[in-house]
Amino acid sequence: MALLSHWHFDPLLILFVAALTVLYGFISRFRRPTNNWYFGSAVFFFLLATCSPLHFFGMHYYFSVYMVCHITLLLLCGPLLVMALPHKPSPFVTTRLKAFAASLSSHPWLLWFAGVGIMWFWHIPIVFDDSMGAMQSGFSIISSIHPLTMLAGGFLFSWPLFSPIENRQLHPLAGVLYLFTACISCSLLGLLITFAPAGTYHHYIGMANMPGRPWNISWQDDQQAAGLIMWVPCCFLYLTGCIYLLAHWFSAKSTNAGRRPETIKPLILHENGKK
Amino acid sequence: MSRLEHIRIPEPEKPLPGLTISSDQGLIQWLSSVDHKQIGIMYLWLSVLFILVGGIEILLVRIQLAVPNNHFLNPEVFNQLFTMHGTTMIFFVLAPAIFGFATYFVPLMIGANDMAFPRMNAFSFWCTLFGGLLLYFSYLAGGAPDAGWFNYAPLNQFSYSSSPGIDYYCSGLLLAGIGTVSASVNFIVTIFRLRVDGMGLKQMPVFVWMILINSFLILAAFPSLNAALVMLLLDRELHAHFFNPGNGGSALLWQHLFWLFGHPEVYILILPVFGIFSEVFPVFSRKPIFGYGFVVASGVAIALLAFGVWVHHMFATGLGNTVNNFFAASSLLIGVPTGVKIFNWLATMYGGSIRFSVAMLFAIAFLVEFTIGGLTGISFAIVPIDWQLTDTYYVVAHLHYVFIGGSLFGLISGIFYWYPKISGRMLSEKMGRWFFWLFVIGFNLTFLVQHALGAMGMPRRVYTYPDLPGWGILNMISSLGGGLMGIAVCLLVYMLFTSRKTGQIAGSDPWDANTLEWTTTSPPPLKNFNLVIPVRSTRPFRDWKRPDDTDWAREGVNNE
Ligand SMILES: [Cu+2]
Repeated sequence: MALLSHWHFDPLLILFVAALTVLYGFISRFRRPTNNWYFGSAVFFFLLATCSPLHFFGMHYYFSVYMVCHITLLLLCGPLLVMALPHKPSPFVTTRLKAFAASLSSHPWLLWFAGVGIMWFWHIPIVFDDSMGAMQSGFSIISSIHPLTMLAGGFLFSWPLFSPIENRQLHPLAGVLYLFTACISCSLLGLLITFAPAGTYHHYIGMANMPGRPWNISWQDDQQAAGLIMWVPCCFLYLTGCIYLLAHWFSAKSTNAGRRPETIKPLILHENGKK
Repeated sequence: MSRLEHIRIPEPEKPLPGLTISSDQGLIQWLSSVDHKQIGIMYLWLSVLFILVGGIEILLVRIQLAVPNNHFLNPEVFNQLFTMHGTTMIFFVLAPAIFGFATYFVPLMIGANDMAFPRMNAFSFWCTLFGGLLLYFSYLAGGAPDAGWFNYAPLNQFSYSSSPGIDYYCSGLLLAGIGTVSASVNFIVTIFRLRVDGMGLKQMPVFVWMILINSFLILAAFPSLNAALVMLLLDRELHAHFFNPGNGGSALLWQHLFWLFGHPEVYILILPVFGIFSEVFPVFSRKPIFGYGFVVASGVAIALLAFGVWVHHMFATGLGNTVNNFFAASSLLIGVPTGVKIFNWLATMYGGSIRFSVAMLFAIAFLVEFTIGGLTGISFAIVPIDWQLTDTYYVVAHLHYVFIGGSLFGLISGIFYWYPKISGRMLSEKMGRWFFWLFVIGFNLTFLVQHALGAMGMPRRVYTYPDLPGWGILNMISSLGGGLMGIAVCLLVYMLFTSRKTGQIAGSDPWDANTLEWTTTSPPPLKNFNLVIPVRSTRPFRDWKRPDDTDWAREGVNNE
């Protein structure tokens, strides 16, 4: 039970969440309940992944738990924030959003790299061990940068899929491809971690004998589990995104890609034998 | 450029000859053809040829296994026969048949006159054919491959298999693989660029959708196989050590690379067949497909999931419980989108006025057989069951329920459905029913009992077995069933041959069908269409035939 009391509120992150809420209130004026719901969940998941016991476990005991936090930030909070943006905000915000969308729209692959690159970067063993060491030794700037870059990566990555400026969105099928290629890269990273020599990430070896470490899972198994979480469930999140895009696409009342059938001439059948 | 213009490719001037070779230029016209219909037909004949070869191989195996302690075949020949049987059936029967239908019907169904790259289309076919011939050349070169169709390391290494068979396996499959990849590129471009005006992606027939998804699946999966084959060739020819643990390689690497291709390959062989069923069920139930969006989206989901589960083929290789648990969980989930499809087809039939043509009979039988194969497959996702049953006849039974009860039933259904369009003549429904019952009974006799044999512990790929209680009789039943299937396949091939000349004239639309291929003549002229009817729903031909009861008016999918 004592484990569940490990809430640690980093003042910088709390400040960030407060600022984000004010900004969101300014943009949306909390008018649309669904969007507010998305925003609320984004904040909830963000706090869960950065301040809750889950985060504490990930920092101190288990790589696999850390991986769950990581995926939460990148693949839940990021997309939820984008989806929370209102579709018809005030003219002032609209022009800003449009300008932002325009500056991003010409290079969706850059946004893909932002999302995927952030994920790979923090898992380079040496970067990983150093940042974890720094974060553990108290309130360092890293401990705020780390979650914020992942949130930003997730936000940018999801932008072309769920952008509030509809004509800036990727075609849903292109979106499926976008997600699928990201899923492959994520599987690859997960696979590398799963089959990497045990102890590639030093940080958790030292943690193995920490007092109060629950469950008693060996650090070798833990590293594998972390890789597997990145490999398998993570892919299911991308897949859920694909299904969401397809479901929206199919349920949209559509026309035949804007073509007018009156312009199509009727067929003259060539009959060479009547049935 | 200017030199190319002088090369004269014999092109037919009259309507295509259907299935005969007696055209105005004879055989040379077939050999030099870049017409998608002729190439499609050649793919289908290739598949017929190899099903006979692969069938004879397995009948020999079944004769050997009919009684205990048999010495009809020696172990070396036995190994070669089951290896060649598996490789042939998967790479040179199922795959070419799928490509045959796709090459023939994708352009027709989207209102195009040919594929996007006609010459590359021919290239793909000839690569596949020569790949198959290269594989079989191994018999003349000193021995066929003998390490099973998935050709595990270290058995595929020179020290375990010193005949050149496995080298031919590598080069043959590599060649066929190149053909497969180029065909997929061709399909993707054709489907994206050559659809008739008015046919948005959401008006595409489900078969075309499945070919599109399948092509992406191939592009993602085949590089893994091709890379593995090249690495194995390097191992065997140049003494590299990719898969040789004795020198720092990894035997398990082969399994990863092979199943990273191999699991998607199962879907590559089943998705197009789902497409065929999604044409057959609506036409013979006289209803639109139930839940078009669901059918397509679950196809996409299947394709994506295909890459997240391959490790379930390796539960017995000692990857550890952590790894096994994750992949057991993900493998249990892959049944979901397929289940969605099964219910869509059931719902399509529900309340329809069903016509039990042979095509429809096979479609209905598929629902039963494929569900059995799917359920036994799910049972393997449970790791302890997998450990108990792996490498037994239970696996053999499972995979044949998927490949025959799934893929082959679908392809046969497709033959009965589309043969009139390809040849201009009907296959006899009466003889077709004989074929249906012979084949279905033979199939179930052969493979249902193998579940029991596997559960009793009979290992696969062992050339004979001791006279244990029950084993002899069950194996005899299995062999007799195999014989029945053999007779049935001969009957089918006989029907295919004779109906070209003597079948009842089909007319352009014998089934009162829905899609564009039925609006042109049977067989279609060299240029498929001069004009195409307006496309405003997934059943454009039906809309055209019944202007007062159109899908697009009913669904309100209007074009302002
Ligand atoms: Cu599999």
